[in-house]
Amino acid sequence: MKDPLPFDHRPDLVLGRALREALDPGDAQAFTARVMALAGQVRLPSWDAVLARWARTGVAAALVVALAAGYFVGRTTAASPAAARPTVSDVLIAPPAHPGEVEVVLASVIGNN
Amino acid sequence: MADPPSQPTQQAARIAQQDEADLVARAVAGDRPAFGVLVERYAGVARRVARAVLGNPEDADDAAQDAMLSALVKLEQYDARRPFGPWLLRIVANAATDRRRRRSVRRVEPLDVGLTAGGPRPDTATERRALNERLRQALAELPERRRMAVVLFDVEGYSHGEIATVLGIPEGTVRSEVFHARRRLRVLLADWKEEG
Repeated sequence: MKDPLPFDHRPDLVLGRALREALDPGDAQAFTARVMALAGQVRLPSWDAVLARWARTGVAAALVVALAAGYFVGRTTAASPAAARPTVSDVLIAPPAHPGEVEVVLASVIGNN
Repeated sequence: MADPPSQPTQQAARIAQQDEADLVARAVAGDRPAFGVLVERYAGVARRVARAVLGNPEDADDAAQDAMLSALVKLEQYDARRPFGPWLLRIVANAATDRRRRRSVRRVEPLDVGLTAGGPRPDTATERRALNERLRQALAELPERRRMAVVLFDVEGYSHGEIATVLGIPEGTVRSEVFHARRRLRVLLADWKEEG
């Protein structure tokens, strides 16, 4: 047998034949029958099952995003200056910042009469 | 002047690839006999590659079977523009490697020095079996990737590029692995011939 050339691109037929015989797996029909018997029990993923799986994931993700968005919007609203704005009742109950202004208005009303 | 020999081969390969793409499409659609044709076509190579990795024929058949069933489930992921064989054999190689890693106690038996170092040649009745045993043991001595590379190249006739796809390594590394594996195995075969 010749010394091999480095990186010979042709298969070595003699070695190939010998290895094929050494690795011969035997009864091919029995193996195929065994695989096909098990293949009958395998359920292939159908396109609607794949879609359903993605849909479930999508709904779950949308829920998480909605919850997170609600939380952040709520937090932002609570912390914003608008929340500190006085209500109508606060204004009515609170003492006037410039008490004199009311008196001037009243005096002018009385004076007109 | 005759056509270059590669042309009919390439044409045949294209037809085979188209045929296999059709078989895969039918198998994906639930046609089990179509999958059966693919199993029949690739059972031999799948079992030989698994045996090259695992040594033990029962383990090899289990790995090849797992790989076939795994391929059936993953068939939708197969790109029909590429050859089917390397795609399937990559699954086989992974299944065999995984099984080999999981296998805890059972190991390849220690080498018989008489067999591997060219001991006295057995009688003709057991001659072939002894050579096969020698080759299997010599294969078992090689690194796993090297074993698969030489089997895929010299036994199954895959190209370096296809083997690179199967093993997930560069083509140059495949060439190197085949070269080193052959060097070891050819010595063994040469000893055997000289003894004869």
